[in-house]
Amino acid sequence: MKATGVHLKAVKKSFGAVDVIRGVDMDVERGHFAVFVGPSGCGKSTLLRMIAGLEETSDGEIFIGDRDVTHEDPADRGVAMVFQSYALYPHLSVYENMAFSLRLAKRPKAEIDDKVREAAGILQLADHLEKKPAQLSGGQRQRVAIGRAIVRAPDVFLFDEPLSNLDAELRVQMRLELARLHQKLGATMIYVTHDQVEAMTLADTIFVLQGGHVQQSGAPLDLYDDPSNRFVAGFIGSPSMNFFSASVDDHTGDGIDVRLSGQPDMTLNLPVSKPPTKGASIVLGMRPEHLVVTKGEGLRVTVDVAEELGGVSYQHGTLESGDPVIFQQAGVRHGMHGTVQTVMPEPGRVFVFDIDGERIR
Amino acid sequence: MTARRARNFAFSGIVLIAAMIWIFPLYWSLTTSLRSENRIVSNAGVLIDELNFASYIEVLSTSKLPIWYLNSVATSSITTAIVLVTGMMCAYALSQLQFPGRKALYLLVVASFMVPVPALYVAQFILMSDLGLVNTWWGIILPQLIVPVVVIVYKQFFDAIPKEMREAVLLDGGGEFTLLFKLYLPLNWGITAALAIITFISTWNNFFWPFLIVTSESMMTIPVGITQVNDAFGVAYARMMALALLAAAPVIIGYLIFQKRVTEAVMISAGVKG
Repeated sequence: MKATGVHLKAVKKSFGAVDVIRGVDMDVERGHFAVFVGPSGCGKSTLLRMIAGLEETSDGEIFIGDRDVTHEDPADRGVAMVFQSYALYPHLSVYENMAFSLRLAKRPKAEIDDKVREAAGILQLADHLEKKPAQLSGGQRQRVAIGRAIVRAPDVFLFDEPLSNLDAELRVQMRLELARLHQKLGATMIYVTHDQVEAMTLADTIFVLQGGHVQQSGAPLDLYDDPSNRFVAGFIGSPSMNFFSASVDDHTGDGIDVRLSGQPDMTLNLPVSKPPTKGASIVLGMRPEHLVVTKGEGLRVTVDVAEELGGVSYQHGTLESGDPVIFQQAGVRHGMHGTVQTVMPEPGRVFVFDIDGERIR
Repeated sequence: MTARRARNFAFSGIVLIAAMIWIFPLYWSLTTSLRSENRIVSNAGVLIDELNFASYIEVLSTSKLPIWYLNSVATSSITTAIVLVTGMMCAYALSQLQFPGRKALYLLVVASFMVPVPALYVAQFILMSDLGLVNTWWGIILPQLIVPVVVIVYKQFFDAIPKEMREAVLLDGGGEFTLLFKLYLPLNWGITAALAIITFISTWNNFFWPFLIVTSESMMTIPVGITQVNDAFGVAYARMMALALLAAAPVIIGYLIFQKRVTEAVMISAGVKG
């Protein structure tokens, strides 16, 4: 399978007066697994469909390898797509579904047979080739859809939320299978999902989209460790990051003293290189796993719900200011429900954002 | 017996009586066609009391029934085939292709429902006459090719096919013809069969247009031909009934074979016609 990168230059898409994609630049390197992630309506599926050629590009250029494919037909772009709804042809057998594109391309029978059987072998579908899609389980149908993509030996695989219709257990299993498939084929893959766990586990590069813009891109853990704005910080990581409103109390030698709203007795000293003005309102971000229960001074949390998951537990509560807060505890059965706990962020694990959501470093 | 069972029993009785009333004319045609003329006029009973095939033999040997059969089969088959192919393509365009005036065109198709077919007979006759198609199969066929219900039914079924399947075919390298003949049509074989049956039956049973456009006995379809036998032989009940049954036989046999599909077709077209 030949791998080729995908490059987008100032790509835009409008539906009438509505701008859905507002100038996206993007480089997906060859052989990489890229994931577009973002909330519903952020434009991630539209962007994928534009790469596939299923949506026209209003402005900008799309390159697959060195070829400008912006105005080429979907079939000529060298891409294959796996849809959320599988989009299998219900009147054809599994074999014929996989052979469809090759038959249209008038490939020799022997070649078709070889390719279909090879793909069926990779996807463990060899025993199901004569069945109709309706006779298969959800996971098997999705495998057929992937098989249909594999036989075409495309330059780029496109996945549009392919696991959304599967139950939780199957989703985890298919996720692993996709990761293995990527390793085996070495092809460039672009994957759209709203599930950030899928994004974190599958991606070489994540593109976080919102409002038709790429908010940030990078390796999953880079986005987790170093989000460039509040949206990315909140979107990457599960459970989501806590955000507390605060104000700048004073400037110190290497940063700022910060006072949390509703908890005037506690100040935090945070290192920032470009401190905001004194008295400026800011937002602090702290991940649930970075809040540690302490006996001393800290954030007082009234715990109202405790999610005990076995290995870890998530304690949900509120600060005195009314801001909601979640903190994580390792181990089981803490019995914190209904209690007031004091937590402190681990040093160096507090993110500072300005009032517009941009990161202050 | 519970009240519910009694109600069911009563209901079944009523349905049975209604069915008997419905089928009686057919039964009466059959018994009459199997009797001699003398017996028919001499106050015969309801039960079958004679198996006399003379009327059938006479009709088949003296009339042009076999030719009328051929004309009916040919014109109905050709009409059905053309109506389905053109209706399907029109519906595909209206359902799946983007072009200016698409909605207006669809409204035009729907509006054509409101024009009563007999209102067009004079214009159609003049047109066919100008084209030199009086007394030809094409003269019978052409005006019967306008069947908006086929377009509307197909469009509804094409609209219901998920967009992703269309996109999958486009990505697989297919064009519009591949889409229509390898995806949309195979996914709608059921409705195609149903539409074929209702189109065929309505063309087969059409009397007035073939009656107008055909004057030569050798070009007549069966419903028109029957009226000619009546003229030629005077009122001969057994022969008339034998003819009527022979005329209806293909449709009856067809119905028995495709019973389920015919029911489906009637339901669908009734839904569209409202």
